[in-house]
Amino acid sequence: MQYYRDLMGTDAQHEPPQSSSSDSSDTGAQTDGRMVSESDDRSRSDSIALESRNLDVYYGDDQALRSIDMQIPEGQVTALIGPSGCGKSTFLRSINRMNDLIDVARVDGDLYFQGKNVYDEDVDPVALRRKIGMVFQKPNPFPKSIRDNVAYGLRVQGKDDGDVDEKVRTALERAALLEEVEDQLDSSGLDLSGGQQQRLCIARAIAPDPEVILMDEPASALDPVATSKIEDLIEDLSKEYTVVIVTHNMQQAARISDKTAVFLTGGELVEFDDTNKIFENPEHDRVEDYITGKFG
Amino acid sequence: MSRTEFQQQLEQLRRDVYEMGTLVCQRLRQALEAFETNDDSLAADVITGDGEINERYLELEQDCVELFALQQPVAGDLRFVASSFKILTDLERIGDLAVNLGEYTRQTEYRRYSDIDIAYIGEQTIDMVERAMAAYKRSDVTSAREIAAADDDIDTLCEGASELVVRDLLEIETGVELTENTDTLLEDVSRMLLTIRDLERVGDHAVNIAARTLYMVDHDDELIY
Repeated sequence: MQYYRDLMGTDAQHEPPQSSSSDSSDTGAQTDGRMVSESDDRSRSDSIALESRNLDVYYGDDQALRSIDMQIPEGQVTALIGPSGCGKSTFLRSINRMNDLIDVARVDGDLYFQGKNVYDEDVDPVALRRKIGMVFQKPNPFPKSIRDNVAYGLRVQGKDDGDVDEKVRTALERAALLEEVEDQLDSSGLDLSGGQQQRLCIARAIAPDPEVILMDEPASALDPVATSKIEDLIEDLSKEYTVVIVTHNMQQAARISDKTAVFLTGGELVEFDDTNKIFENPEHDRVEDYITGKFG
Repeated sequence: MSRTEFQQQLEQLRRDVYEMGTLVCQRLRQALEAFETNDDSLAADVITGDGEINERYLELEQDCVELFALQQPVAGDLRFVASSFKILTDLERIGDLAVNLGEYTRQTEYRRYSDIDIAYIGEQTIDMVERAMAAYKRSDVTSAREIAAADDDIDTLCEGASELVVRDLLEIETGVELTENTDTLLEDVSRMLLTIRDLERVGDHAVNIAARTLYMVDHDDELIY
């Protein structure tokens, strides 16, 4: 039950609601309430990392997402694509409750992370975000040293014990940045190039060893070389983490993702399938029209 | 380039590939006529005309490569360009087979197998290619499937014709009939068998075109493998 304790804060002792477990068993979601242990093999599998059911999101009177049902597989890259305003970023932010930070945002429906509805009242959003990290469109390193940028995530989690340096180096290595910054860990993170800053932010996100990494257009502000490094990194990360990425670049989605979800105007999830299926033979004419540029 | 222009380019490619198909069928028809009438001059025209087909093939292949590189087509557009790319190869090969017929014509001084109706078999295969290209042009999967089925008839015709040649050869070998120079005889037999085989291959290429059309329209690879 350590996972639920983590999710609900260190003092929480609640059991997961029985209804959540029984409901999700019908859909293949992990239901036994156990935490995926650190040693579990998170390589590609048929397990479900995240599952939304009938998820609606409103901003005031405007409905941004409509009855989203989706099962996001564990240890794979899932891309969310669609035109501006279709709700893909809203869905991404719903996963780790970033929408809680928007006053007018309201969420109906369920979103399960390893069998637990993250919108249950007893879930601590901050604890949730340690398990589901996020990388944003624009690199946003803190005005601190490279070391402190990565260590920040550990400190927030209370893991800044004796081996912080080792964990910082491990995170930088996983983010494919260590080799480039090894001799300048005390230099400001702001002195790095845009692509390096983004990889620093990825290192910061993975330092607390999350289960899921959410990425909101992580390469849209980068040049092709830096983009290529980020794409290679995403592929590597998917060997250890579940990655969910929003991108406007459909070729990027085609290159890096295993699954693709196509949202269209009105906050509707129109198609969710294997990426090669979406880009070779989508089921829906609206999806075909969108990805071939005939949309609108 | 706007997506509208891209769509116009795709339609232009469809027209260009179809026109190449028309050109190839013309060449094949000329080759058959040359073969039937023993017209060396017409056969020579078919052989030299292959340069035009090859040139057209390389141009259109380049158009496809540029569409892949610059437009990165997906879904139906991807299947269309990929199918066109493959169909171009089939058309170029049919052009080569027409050249073969022209060469057989020029090498042959007389016809031993006048009872084998090469003209009929040839017309059937040309008809298959023309129907396959029409199916491609119209994205007509029903016709595409019918063409695949028609290939069985071509195969049967070709098998029958080959059997006639082999049977004749066996009769000669057993001494029942041996009235010609043996080398000339063997060359004639070989050329006739090659002619039959080449026409059968034209039918196969027509089926390939139909198969790619089926994949292009319905993402159905049933006829490809």
